[in-house]
Amino acid sequence: MITPTSSIIIALICAVLGGFAQILFKKGADNLKFDLSMLKNYPLIFGLGLYGLSAVLFIFALRNGELSTLYPIIATTYIWVNLLAVKFLNERMNIYKLSGTALIIAGVILTSVI
Amino acid sequence: MKKMSSKKRKINAKTESKKTKTWAILLVVFCGFLGAIAQLLLKIGSERINESITSIFNLPLLFGFVFYGLATILFIISLKHGEVTILYPIIATSYVWVSLFSSYFLHENITLAKWGGDLLIILGVSLIGYSSKISSNTGVNK
Repeated sequence: MITPTSSIIIALICAVLGGFAQILFKKGADNLKFDLSMLKNYPLIFGLGLYGLSAVLFIFALRNGELSTLYPIIATTYIWVNLLAVKFLNERMNIYKLSGTALIIAGVILTSVI
Repeated sequence: MKKMSSKKRKINAKTESKKTKTWAILLVVFCGFLGAIAQLLLKIGSERINESITSIFNLPLLFGFVFYGLATILFIISLKHGEVTILYPIIATSYVWVSLFSSYFLHENITLAKWGGDLLIILGVSLIGYSSKISSNTGVNK
């Protein structure tokens, strides 16, 4: 079974959406209170929405594609989270985070491709 | 001069609040564990689905979703106490638990390459966890 390009593109979109969801989770978590104000915690709500959307889209990608191809693409989420956190949350990268992310992605490729 | 020092103090306060707490890291490790239990339950539950529509309401599947939701809630709580660039990658430890569980409970064959991949993930997560202990001490912003 060869994974069609459309599935690969959908999985890539899922990964980027998943990255944005994490940034929104972080923004929402900073103002997290367990009371009615949660209903007005829009970053949290949109984050959950994106998270769900990404999961549903991934199922569509899986319908025509192979998990061993698509899972490493989902693992690019680790890259998107880093990029977006630097851009929107002013978090800083360092050599440990960079090499750690690279090792994790290499690990995901090994666990799912071979 | 005055303006600059107050700005500097602000930046320091900001980096202070951004320090990732050790318990937040441990909580995310636990989330990875819960997530793997969820995967195991979803796998068991998905195999119980047949032609009958009511078969989708089976306990393993239901509990799988519950564990998944619980892991997500705990992860968001932990995010309040640390950087997302530290905490999010720790979720990857889930892969290691999934390998262990599917080998032990589902008797799936885990190849040497898969264990090697798990080892790389552990190394990567350890590096990132280690950086949380030093990045908070390098005060300069940008």
